[in-house]
Amino acid sequence: MEKQRIPIILKIKQMVTIIIAGLIVIWFLTPLVLITISAFALPEDYYQIEKVIPTHFTINQFKALFFELEAWKAILTSIKVAGLTMLLSFVIGLPAGYALSRYIFPGKNFLKLLCLATRMFPLMVLAIPLLIIFMKIGVSDTIWGVALAHTAMVLPMIILISSSILSSISVDYEEAAMIFGLSRIQAFFRITLQLALPGLAASAIFAFIISWNEVFVATILTLTNRTLPAHILSTAMASPDYYKFTAGFIMAIPAMVFIFFVRKHLVTMWGISLK
Amino acid sequence: MVKVRLKGLKKYFERVKAVNDINLEIRPGEFVVLLGPSGCGKTTLLRCVSGLERVTAGRVFFDNDDMTYLSPKDRNISMVFQNYAIWPHMTVNDNIAFPLRVKKYPQKEIEKRVNWAAELLGIDSLLDRYPTQLSGGQRQRVAVARAIVMEPKVLLMDEPLSNLDALLRVRMRTEIKKLQENLKVTTIYVTHDQVEAMTMGDRIAVLKQGILQQLGSSDEIYHNPVNTFVAGFIGSPQMNFIEVEILSQNKVLYLRAKGLVIPLLDKFKDRVSKLSDKRNYILGIRPEHIYITGRAQTDQVASTKGKVYFVELLRSDTVIHLEKEFGFLVVKTAGDLKVKEDKELEVLFDLLRIHLFDKDTGKAIF
Repeated sequence: MEKQRIPIILKIKQMVTIIIAGLIVIWFLTPLVLITISAFALPEDYYQIEKVIPTHFTINQFKALFFELEAWKAILTSIKVAGLTMLLSFVIGLPAGYALSRYIFPGKNFLKLLCLATRMFPLMVLAIPLLIIFMKIGVSDTIWGVALAHTAMVLPMIILISSSILSSISVDYEEAAMIFGLSRIQAFFRITLQLALPGLAASAIFAFIISWNEVFVATILTLTNRTLPAHILSTAMASPDYYKFTAGFIMAIPAMVFIFFVRKHLVTMWGISLK
Repeated sequence: MVKVRLKGLKKYFERVKAVNDINLEIRPGEFVVLLGPSGCGKTTLLRCVSGLERVTAGRVFFDNDDMTYLSPKDRNISMVFQNYAIWPHMTVNDNIAFPLRVKKYPQKEIEKRVNWAAELLGIDSLLDRYPTQLSGGQRQRVAVARAIVMEPKVLLMDEPLSNLDALLRVRMRTEIKKLQENLKVTTIYVTHDQVEAMTMGDRIAVLKQGILQQLGSSDEIYHNPVNTFVAGFIGSPQMNFIEVEILSQNKVLYLRAKGLVIPLLDKFKDRVSKLSDKRNYILGIRPEHIYITGRAQTDQVASTKGKVYFVELLRSDTVIHLEKEFGFLVVKTAGDLKVKEDKELEVLFDLLRIHLFDKDTGKAIF
């Protein structure tokens, strides 16, 4: 069988595309690789200026940060806070999204604008007053406090995203379910939610990640129950330089592992299907 | 078989009167078509009967039960949607079985019914497929199968054929009608296609702007339209409408327009002689009731001449647009006739088939 000869110009274009893609990958991966390698580097190698890449490795820094300085506790706290944020923002946000997508009511556009407007508010301004209020209520320095603050940050986005996802699901499906024996609420849970699940799961992951990465409010609102970013801020920043790579590694890896496993759902959110 | 009665049904959206005082009775097992142009309220009316839309006023009765405020699931109805609305995340089997599963029928019964419905619609080989793996026509069959599997009291259909290609539409028309005849379920069918209405409906309800214009069999609607709207909506090409005035000469009544004089037959004399106003009338005659000389189907004719403006050679028929002093006359005749443009042609009006409408109200006098 004769293989059709691909013209040279196409081959060149292919090569150029591969090179550019390769450069982009290198650009993004290099910091990660450097951090990972340096995270386990011996301090001596770190301080040797000639050595760009360390050759001797140790897990001492890692052990110190993770166990002695209790980074593992902070990771758990972060998971709890992010999980709570995800849950709360959905319990409140999803019904709001349903209302926005299915009904017409006065003030609808205003509400949508309001959701967008909250994103424009500088967080720095709110953090200290929020701490004072939290202290008065008694939720300062608790997981609940941080989760509430994070929920407030994430909620407007969840409302808008879920409203747009639900809008993309034709109301016909719900109505058909209502004709054939379900009440409106049942139709929502058994039909609409099933169809919206990929998109909603993706936005839930989004909420989780935002809470996970949030450092400013988490630092201000907590002292002992610190989330990972807040914890790193206080411990690693106070430690010798070479600890910072280890800290970076501890921060980046869990998130990367998580995203790796849920990458299919994230891409769904942006409308591309990944096989 | 259930009787459906709509009493004083109204549905207003803010200031828009989508359904404006509809009174309608559908006989048990009857196939009634709601026909009208876009925006006439036919779909809204159907949705009021289904319960998906809450009525503004009026009542919906199935036999003697008041259904007006019941939610759709309690009405024991089925609906075929225009876009089918078959759930994409379930197999064909699960789609059809859904109404039965919700009502908690025993598994054996569910299987039996699903297979019966699937066989009836010719989709029994597709039961394990997902909707995205089906063609439009197949999806439509799944929607119909799902609608009949539970033997509903009333079957509602909202323009189910409008998304199908022309050939499939013709075939499905017959299949659906035959299906309904076998099942004997009271059916309300919404469409804007008058051909569907005429071929499928036992009776047709013509709607305009939320108001019922006429309810009757295809025969009644076609031969005795109650106003110019119904007369113009049914029949293709559209009925010819000519502005005329009534003339009396030597005890004979005539209808006159520029370049046209039509004598009135005795059977119409009574109705016309009672009219006080002699002007402001519209003469209606269908293109197929204007004959070419030599091809008349009756001897009670009146002739007129005109210049051929345009000819449509459909081969099954020939449609001639004749230029007259009052405007254009559309004549439909057999396909074997060939006429040249700009030729003078004489045509014959079938005097038994003319209609007279009041110009201001549009109402038919005969």
